[in-house]
Amino acid sequence: MTRRAFEIAGKLTSGALLVLLYLFLYAPIVYIIYASFSKNISWPFPPQFSLKGFELLWIGRTYHEALYNSLILGIGSAVLCTIFATLGSIAVLRYRSRWRRLVVIAHLCPLFVANLLVGISSLLFNRQVLGLPGNMGSAILANAIHGLSFAFLIMLAQMLRYDWRMDDAAMVFGARPLRCFWEITLPNIWPAMLGAFIISFILGFNNLEISFYNLGATQTLPSTAWGSLRHGLGPELPALATLVNAAVFLAFAAMYLLMRYRIFSFGHRE
Amino acid sequence: MARRKRLSEDARFALMAAPGTLFIFIFLFLPILSIIVFSFWRTEVYQLYPDWNLDNYRVLLTTPTYMVFLMRSLVTASLVSLVCVVLGWPIAYFIIRYGGRYRLLMILALAAPFFTGIILRVSALQGIMGPVGAFNMTLMTFGFAPVKVIMFSQVATGIGLVYLYIPFLVTAIYLSLLNFDFELLEAAKVNGAPPWRAFIEITWPLNWMGTIIGVILVFIPSLASSVTPIFLGGANGALFGSVLGRQFSETGTLALGSAMGVVLFAVSGLVIYLMWRTVNLRRAGFTGKDY
Repeated sequence: MTRRAFEIAGKLTSGALLVLLYLFLYAPIVYIIYASFSKNISWPFPPQFSLKGFELLWIGRTYHEALYNSLILGIGSAVLCTIFATLGSIAVLRYRSRWRRLVVIAHLCPLFVANLLVGISSLLFNRQVLGLPGNMGSAILANAIHGLSFAFLIMLAQMLRYDWRMDDAAMVFGARPLRCFWEITLPNIWPAMLGAFIISFILGFNNLEISFYNLGATQTLPSTAWGSLRHGLGPELPALATLVNAAVFLAFAAMYLLMRYRIFSFGHRE
Repeated sequence: MARRKRLSEDARFALMAAPGTLFIFIFLFLPILSIIVFSFWRTEVYQLYPDWNLDNYRVLLTTPTYMVFLMRSLVTASLVSLVCVVLGWPIAYFIIRYGGRYRLLMILALAAPFFTGIILRVSALQGIMGPVGAFNMTLMTFGFAPVKVIMFSQVATGIGLVYLYIPFLVTAIYLSLLNFDFELLEAAKVNGAPPWRAFIEITWPLNWMGTIIGVILVFIPSLASSVTPIFLGGANGALFGSVLGRQFSETGTLALGSAMGVVLFAVSGLVIYLMWRTVNLRRAGFTGKDY
């Protein structure tokens, strides 16, 4: 049967492509993790175990400061993103208004503006118009622009199924809007908010192009990595890559397990 | 207790939607407007002066190198998007069709690397593809000639951009297929359509919007890529984005940089517009309900 043969051939080809894509995506990551534990990072064969890179990270003051700055940047940006995305998605899903489509477009348009443009335009705008010098504050604001779309998409996907009659019921029984939000809405949507927070935190934490133009002299982990990559590969960089990859993959593994066992859904629909 | 006056639906909508929308307006829309203004100004040593002139655009249009960089970026971004579609479609289709209960795991595993950030991903890729990268060192160890084309070249930049952005495309098509009704294919089969025809006439057009969104999400950052060409493209592999970045970090010609930003923004906008025009909402299964 030709139809059957066609289907099997298609299945095998696309399955092989998927495996190849995983290889393509993960080979460099696995390799850099392997290199980070090796003595010679550029050609670590035969294998010689070494923790030099991790030691350098552990004692290096620049890296500690950079880590601290990246954390502040990620948290600041994630807080803004989560608040705006939550409010925006409730507005769009709960209330009828002819401005709904405009609000959705506004929240999603940062996806279609390159990081580089967000970086340079907010650098000039903050400096020339608002009189803000490049610092942590302006970097947080610019990063939140980028993260907001991701946070908004996560909130929207989760809340599409939200039953607003629960809130209406609470209101009928006399709950004030704020109390209704606190006791009905929040307990139901906080997993989605957590998902939005985690994703926008990771984006802000690891962002280079937006932060680079807005931070002035403040160093973050990506900008330190950028500097060390320009001045020749040191042993700290693979070690840093290993740690960041480990953290990101742990976060994703945790989210996956929670979704898999239906504890949270983080906005994913089966 | 006094009877509270309830806000109208419009007022409540405005109250909830305003913070995010205003934030985008002030910190994205106004900055883009401001670089349009600054592109008509003049810079001296990192300072902008409001002498209105068209010099920056004249320089951009008459200096051949800038146009070469722009063309190169356009070609690179187009090829990268094409490769991503050709690879991404069968992969997303496979995950939806045969992923079963492991769908979510499969797509998350594709998306996760994206979140470690450009610089760490590019440096990992350099460990594989660079002059002393694993790929060529392995070849040389076994006595083969190294493959020059992946060391500091346009091709290396292209591979790097596919590496960076293909998760976007696969995820966009995955989400589109997730909402696609595969029963339609059964109907086509019952009516005697061969699989390729069912794909061309049903699956592909009904998921065209998702594909277009994915392509745009790959095309835009590829067109503006500035870090990737620096580390993978080598000395002769500069792209428009990396030259743009240099105006702000090294030469300090902010007005020229703004003009380049405006050109980049305009080209991206044009491409988005042209692609979006090919989307026929009714054909894409848009029923006229809100989104």
